[in-house]
Amino acid sequence: MKRNKPLALVAGAALLTLAACGGGSSDDGDNGGGTDRTFGDQEGGTKDAERQGPAAEIEGAAAGGTITVYLPGDPGPDTLDPTAGWSVTGNSIQQALTSRSLTQYVRDEEGQPVLVPDLATDLGTANEDYTEWTFTIRDDATWEDGQPVTAEEVAFGICRSLDSDAFPSGAGTEYSKTYFEGAADYEGPYTGKDPKCENWSGISVEGQDITISMATPFPDMDYWGAFMAMGPAPLGNASKPPNYGTKPLSNGPYKVDSYKPNEELVLVKNDQWSADSDPGRHQYADEFVFKFNQDQAKVDEIMLSDNSDSQTAVSTGLGSDKYNDANSQLGDRLVQQTSQCVATLTPDYTKITDVNVRKALAYAYPYEDVWIAGGQVPGVTRIPANSVMPPGMAGKKDFQVDGEQITYDPEKSKELLAEAGYGDEPYPITMVFYEVDPLAVAAQDQITKGFEAGGFSVKAIPVQDSPYNVWLDPDNKVNKKLNLRGVSWCSDWPAGSTMLPPLLKGGAVYNTALFDEASVNDEMDNIATLPLEEQADAWGALDEKIMTEYFPIIPTAFLNDLFVFGSKIGNPTGDGSIGAPNYKDLYVMQ
Amino acid sequence: MSADTAGPETLGSLSTEPEHQDPNSQQAKEIAGKSPMRIALGRLAKDKIAVVCAVVVLFFIICAVFAGPISAAFGVSLETPLASERVDGLNQGLPKPEMGPPNGPFTMEHPMGVAPRTGEDNLAYWLYGCRVSLLIAATATLFASVVGVIVGLLAGFLGGAVDKMLSFFIDMFLTIPFLLAALTIAPIINDRFNLSDNYGTIQKTALIVVLSIFGWMGTARLIRGEVLALREREFVQAARVMGMPTRRILFKELLPNLAAPIIISISLMLPTFVALEAGLAFLGIGVTDGVSWGQTILKATNLTFFREYPQYLWQPLLGIVALVLSLNLLGDAVRDALDPKTRR
Amino acid sequence: MFAYVVKRLISGVLVVTLVSMAIFLLFWYGPSSPAQPICDRETSNRCTPARLDTYERTLGYDNPVYVEYGKFVEGIFVGRTITIASSEYECGAPCLGVSFRTKQPVKEELVSRIPATFSIAIGGAFLYLLFGVPIGVAAAKRRGSVADKALVSSFLFISSIPYYLFALLTWLYLTITFEVPLFSDTGYFPITQDGPFKWFSGMFLAWVALGIFGCTQYTRFTRGAMVEALSEDYIRTAKAKGLPTRTIVYKHGLRAALVPVVTIFGIDFGTLLAGTIFTERIFEIQGIGWWALEAVQGRDLPVVQATALFSAVILICSNLLVDVVYSVLDPRVRLS
Repeated sequence: MKRNKPLALVAGAALLTLAACGGGSSDDGDNGGGTDRTFGDQEGGTKDAERQGPAAEIEGAAAGGTITVYLPGDPGPDTLDPTAGWSVTGNSIQQALTSRSLTQYVRDEEGQPVLVPDLATDLGTANEDYTEWTFTIRDDATWEDGQPVTAEEVAFGICRSLDSDAFPSGAGTEYSKTYFEGAADYEGPYTGKDPKCENWSGISVEGQDITISMATPFPDMDYWGAFMAMGPAPLGNASKPPNYGTKPLSNGPYKVDSYKPNEELVLVKNDQWSADSDPGRHQYADEFVFKFNQDQAKVDEIMLSDNSDSQTAVSTGLGSDKYNDANSQLGDRLVQQTSQCVATLTPDYTKITDVNVRKALAYAYPYEDVWIAGGQVPGVTRIPANSVMPPGMAGKKDFQVDGEQITYDPEKSKELLAEAGYGDEPYPITMVFYEVDPLAVAAQDQITKGFEAGGFSVKAIPVQDSPYNVWLDPDNKVNKKLNLRGVSWCSDWPAGSTMLPPLLKGGAVYNTALFDEASVNDEMDNIATLPLEEQADAWGALDEKIMTEYFPIIPTAFLNDLFVFGSKIGNPTGDGSIGAPNYKDLYVMQ
Repeated sequence: MSADTAGPETLGSLSTEPEHQDPNSQQAKEIAGKSPMRIALGRLAKDKIAVVCAVVVLFFIICAVFAGPISAAFGVSLETPLASERVDGLNQGLPKPEMGPPNGPFTMEHPMGVAPRTGEDNLAYWLYGCRVSLLIAATATLFASVVGVIVGLLAGFLGGAVDKMLSFFIDMFLTIPFLLAALTIAPIINDRFNLSDNYGTIQKTALIVVLSIFGWMGTARLIRGEVLALREREFVQAARVMGMPTRRILFKELLPNLAAPIIISISLMLPTFVALEAGLAFLGIGVTDGVSWGQTILKATNLTFFREYPQYLWQPLLGIVALVLSLNLLGDAVRDALDPKTRR
Repeated sequence: MFAYVVKRLISGVLVVTLVSMAIFLLFWYGPSSPAQPICDRETSNRCTPARLDTYERTLGYDNPVYVEYGKFVEGIFVGRTITIASSEYECGAPCLGVSFRTKQPVKEELVSRIPATFSIAIGGAFLYLLFGVPIGVAAAKRRGSVADKALVSSFLFISSIPYYLFALLTWLYLTITFEVPLFSDTGYFPITQDGPFKWFSGMFLAWVALGIFGCTQYTRFTRGAMVEALSEDYIRTAKAKGLPTRTIVYKHGLRAALVPVVTIFGIDFGTLLAGTIFTERIFEIQGIGWWALEAVQGRDLPVVQATALFSAVILICSNLLVDVVYSVLDPRVRLS
């Protein structure tokens, strides 16, 4: 999942280049007299199919009040249509507060996300080879207008996710389209002029039961069900895009009061929502106000001042220049949360064929320097990475490719290059950087410096919009010249299947390394057919195998987010499933 | 950058027209016998402010021309250091104490300290920033003047339909909001050439082109007005009667008499372009490789850096203010010297 | 006079047409496809060549440029329906397009941004006059005195500093360093929502910065015009008649001197209205200039186009208006 801000183009670009130091997470926060803090790590993979509403009360929680959420440098979602959403910002807000789906996550006592039922009565049942999933829709959920949420509406919502022209940014383009039977040939209710979704045979409704047929085995359907795209939509014209995206019908504890794209979203209590029907959500505050596109420095000032404005406010970011102050002043109110994202460099597998050269690049990358120049805090917002599966993901193995964490070591890089037979002349590297952001430029300067010290010569091409434009377009003339690209990737749910295939399967869109090994591709297909309990370990083993045998991708950092909570916000925690504040459980202290 | 006045948002106008010089005025007759330039220089030399400003401008020119040797003499360079060697990533990215201010004492290794986050040497960046600033301003002034003079000459001398058309274009360019145009054009030009090895040069060229495109109108108007007056003078009429080709009349007869207005328009354009170059970099367009005062100011306005390390902001800021100020005051003095009628 | 106005109007329309064409062509033949920005945005950077093709086709970028320009012009007069991929957006006349970012009609957003910029313009321009004219008159009355010289040179000094640095320093020191309470939160707060005081205090610093900087020019103009006016024959006559100095200066002198000041003022006001990018950027006022800057950074082409056109129209109108007013105020000027 990627963030959807233009500065997220920056983030996207910067992520390629911004990595962490060799410090490790054990020593973070140990400075400036601040609190020692531990990360909201997540173990992943826990599920509770039996959970029923209402959700357990948060200790000490009180009703009432308005919570203001500042989103610095983040324009927020362009549309509120649940089917179109595939961004950390939009999904975290809507899934927690307005838009229910088949399943959802709750935060347990240890801060781990647990997958529990939402509109379905359980987590769904699959047949033996995961090619057919059945969900039973509960009968007590309602829309904000008081009408019950029907199984037909859920099925229609799921059907909408197949319309990749109407919802090109939706996650359905990746998952529904790939896994659902007959999805590849079905254009969707709007593009295919099939407003009742009659021409798609992959779904059937019987009473309260919805059955989805899969084209290929899809063991992760229950996780996919936690996306708001797998939720209901009013039938017919009521949910026609683009108008539905400005005021979608809510079925969660809050409903949309007003929405100005890129500026502000105001949510108020939905009195038709009943706590008994929902195993995961609460309705403590009267109102949520989300302020998009805020200036980071200004928000930092507000949050650190602890004035009446900021006491009931939440910020989804903290400027790295303010980390020291915040760390010493805020205590528990500064929350660090893994975002389940990895930043990588991807050497072109078809051009840089020698594994020693790829490893030399990893040793020539000045992790800490890139990171400081790019405005990050080493060991806090960026930590060193050993593979593409983020820490805490089920099945993740604690291994190191070369026995220990790869750090900046230009001498080692030169040795590896010499070993590969490139000792005499600098090895040429061609890459792009996002020129519009001074931080990305500074980070690129550091990369160039490090690579040159490590025996490479660097041609860095400036681009004015997202580097992904270049990397993802095979016909782009700049792209053809590159032999080093990058990609930052976040998991959509805590399973290796959302990390490894998108990044490293032959032909995958975001496989910017162009890595394509038949044995690895086969193994990926194979894992999906294994019994569920074996899959996590199998992904972990494959992760290790790819890294140690081929080293096709250079993980430069795991990403962490910092959230700041006002002094009157109760239960300041992060949401481990998505890298956002835990909106479901927040309240205003009275 | 779009109307006839010097409203603040226009950063000082490119097209302020000083009053026309009347060659038949009383003063002009009194000092007959000396060339106008000599007279003006004499007046300038007596103007204390002008002399001081000229010295300041000269200082900046020396800094710009000899940026390399001066940096070498101080042992500093533009080279990017490894950030972690010079700045403390856990202390807000501020320079380490041994690098000088704000956390340490002055050090000869980095006389002006180093930049937060990257650790780049401030003195070297200041010197080369001065070079970029003056280079872009001077070149843009040159191009804009040439275009302006040619358009003005043609419009004024040929008159009729040509004059009407050129005047229309002058008016049209004056109504295009300059900042918006620059914001739009610069990225497009950059995008087209980002594969080139000389990208930095092309970027600066693009900036010069944009500045020139929107900077020539003031000169053109000034020259046109001047030519309209000169056209009716006896020596031009005589040259015409003698059958001199138009081109010769324009360049041999008219141009030498236009020295004063040309100098005046240059004196107006130079400081404007210096300010504009930095202003555009401050908005995040124009020069993006970091060697620009405006870009340094943009980085230094980060509130934490401003609070903890205000020197980082003040160094480039004083550079721009001193340069623009002295260019403006010098220009003012030059205008006074050339045209004593407007003297206060 | 009527003929003159008509002539000016025609040439104004011609200029606006040419400007809009230039912008249109610029984007059309800019290096990346004009549909690239919206495709990136809509697909969250999953813009595959096939998708880019869809956007280009639905937005009409595969048609010849003149056809699309024709549609654009048609939209301005009668409105149009804009198709982006499979979504349709109604855009009523005058249609300036649909923002690539918010999908709202550009016109509506433009209208919603005007109050902020108008607030800057009205306050700033008011301070121009409030500071500039009286100081200029006072200086002219004491022409040649030490005070006059000090004033003239100090104002020359201020106006020689680049405006944006002046504004930046004002903001940094008054708001951040000294935390002057009145200036603590700059920005635009609608009167209707936050009340007049909040509106005033949000704008005040921007006005002061604009006012102080801009008034130097008005002082100079007023002083110059007053000096000239006071040396006219009718003033000498008035003096000879024994009228009080006050009457001479304010009634006879100032009235004549104000004519050029009013013209400059009109043009300046137009310039301010057309977008104050630096002021809005520094004082965080989300008006038209801010919007334009955002649009350029976000490659929101319809918005860039609309802001540029808006500025050009405002400037042309204010210039025309000023010329007409000038001819009314000063009978010596005849328009032809």
